[in-house]
Amino acid sequence: MPRASIVVSAYNAEATLAETLASLLGQSFADLEVIVVDDGSTDATAALVEAISDPRLRLVRQRNRGLAGARNSGIHAARGEYIGFCDADDLWRRDKLAAHVRHLDEVPEVGLSYSGSALIGPDGRGLGLAQAPRLQGVGPEQVFLRNPVGNGSAPVLRRAALDALAWRPALETERDWWFDENFRQSEDIECWLRLALTTDWRIEGVPGALTQYRITGGGLSAATDRQLTAWERMVTKLTPIAPDFFAAHAATARSYQLRYLARRAVSAGDGARALRLVLDALGQSRRPLRQEPLKTLTTLAAACALRLLGPLVLTQSRLAPCAIPATAPQTGESK
Amino acid sequence: MTLHFPAPSLPRVVHLVDDLNWGGVTRGVRHLVQDPVLARVARQSIVEVKRGSVTTPALEADLILSHLSVSWRNLPLLSALRGRYAHLPLVHVEHSYCEGFVAGNVMERLRFQTLLRSAYALFDGVVGVSAGQTGWLRDRALVAPERLRTIRSCAGIDDFLALPVATGRARAFGALGRFDRQKGFDTLIRAFLAVRTPGATLTLVGDGPERAALEALAHGDPRIRFAGYASSPATLMARFDAVLMPSRWEAYGLVGVEAMAAGRDLLVSGVDGTADHVQRGATVCRGRRAEDWTAAIERLAAREPAIATRLREIGREKVRHAEAEFRTAYAMLFADFCAARISPAMAG
Repeated sequence: MPRASIVVSAYNAEATLAETLASLLGQSFADLEVIVVDDGSTDATAALVEAISDPRLRLVRQRNRGLAGARNSGIHAARGEYIGFCDADDLWRRDKLAAHVRHLDEVPEVGLSYSGSALIGPDGRGLGLAQAPRLQGVGPEQVFLRNPVGNGSAPVLRRAALDALAWRPALETERDWWFDENFRQSEDIECWLRLALTTDWRIEGVPGALTQYRITGGGLSAATDRQLTAWERMVTKLTPIAPDFFAAHAATARSYQLRYLARRAVSAGDGARALRLVLDALGQSRRPLRQEPLKTLTTLAAACALRLLGPLVLTQSRLAPCAIPATAPQTGESK
Repeated sequence: MTLHFPAPSLPRVVHLVDDLNWGGVTRGVRHLVQDPVLARVARQSIVEVKRGSVTTPALEADLILSHLSVSWRNLPLLSALRGRYAHLPLVHVEHSYCEGFVAGNVMERLRFQTLLRSAYALFDGVVGVSAGQTGWLRDRALVAPERLRTIRSCAGIDDFLALPVATGRARAFGALGRFDRQKGFDTLIRAFLAVRTPGATLTLVGDGPERAALEALAHGDPRIRFAGYASSPATLMARFDAVLMPSRWEAYGLVGVEAMAAGRDLLVSGVDGTADHVQRGATVCRGRRAEDWTAAIERLAAREPAIATRLREIGREKVRHAEAEFRTAYAMLFADFCAARISPAMAG
């Protein structure tokens, strides 16, 4: 039995999957299995996997169930004591798994080990941007407000921690759920926050940008609306679990979420929406302004500039790099 | 020669409780102290100490059993006890802390684990009240495995075993306990509002800070009722076909054993010590949303009457010896820690 399983959710991923698998099968910690869940692809995703003759590689095929459903099928099939996730267009640095295995081996209370990420563009080239989250002292509040786990290709979890989250909805007949398949966005943060609110497994990071996380398009403004809706659904769903917690933190978390969506709108060139979002953010809570004044004010400035001067201002100014929605909360980054 | 009972050579066991947990915990401890069988192996007594006090009581004991609450405030007291009674075995029974408690109440997890580790390290042994809780104490390295044991609590179940097993489909649902966020009765009421099973009723028995909020939630649904505790818990239990425990955390949950002993269905959330009930045949609803509980209640209510009755009989058999196991485990605990003081004559 392999010590670690890496679950790769793949939907029509023929363009990027081979590179992803090469990065996983080439991990310096080699006692692993890679489980590719072909989530009802209509392209050559499955054929690509079958063409690779590494006994550590397994293919699970299913009708399309979405990212959460693909990850759940992967967890169901996984045999490792540790389970990591890598979406089919992201990459793992060669020593990523080794770092997480060492971390989980050494600190038995850690249930979820994550790392920072370097952002890459559609062509796989580095964007010179990184998610460098807080690594220590992460409780439910930090997960909710800033989601230090960052993206779905960052964490490696202890099987026991995942199983503490498992349940089987009434209509499900095949297997348990770990991620909530009712979510098509925010499924990551929903899962990490549920872990933080219903178990005492520690969530902790290891240094380094060990994941290469691909940013693709994602400029559509409509996507930010859907994302906000999913995020609110998550809050509604989890509030009964910890009513006091949400009463204390929901407004601030919403403010961060809106600020993040404002930054996305900025990079999508939609100044009106960006400005509205950033003002909504400040209306929810002033805490982001106190806690992260620079970033909050930059977002406000970028939104104003874009609104008043039009999209050109960003491509020609030094604001552009910081306007890219590069850092937390990275919930449900659409690809 | 006259033989005196209890023999003067019996080890003296002192149970320490503090003023705050003078309630549920004390009910169990008092039951233990009054147990006629244990009285043949040890002379037990209860001493109450004030929470946060730094002066330790003068104790005549061969074994000290702490039922005290572990907190930063109580740490000086625990340390002082260890210092003053360095020559005596000191064992702690952990009645409250469990994974769900930490998840639901503690934001500074590292600091809290430090507290627990420091406090538990003062004791020669730590007793968990359920396998679910003990597993957590072990897996989080809060207590070294060799110093850890499980004794599932029991406060007497004879009255429950004497009840006739509930027959037929479950219609009368009961939830018993303190009206506190811990118990998850808010989720339960939301769930029950959507239950469509004809004839189903839900009775919440207890009191506590959430009473008004719970009554407001249930408002307008005549199937949901509230009741106070009765003098005889078994009489109360007899009113129900099924007992629901949607607890957010629960170190063990005595009411679960009592429900099974009474031959009632038991539906639990599966957190912490409630997993012990599941092992013995209780039904689990792992989902935490009201919808999950609605579905689980309706499924339970739809069981074929013959199967439902049979499962209740099986459940009762699984817990029939809970009290004997509890008593034996304490007798063994006394023996292990007072080995030198139990006279060979007592071995028979």
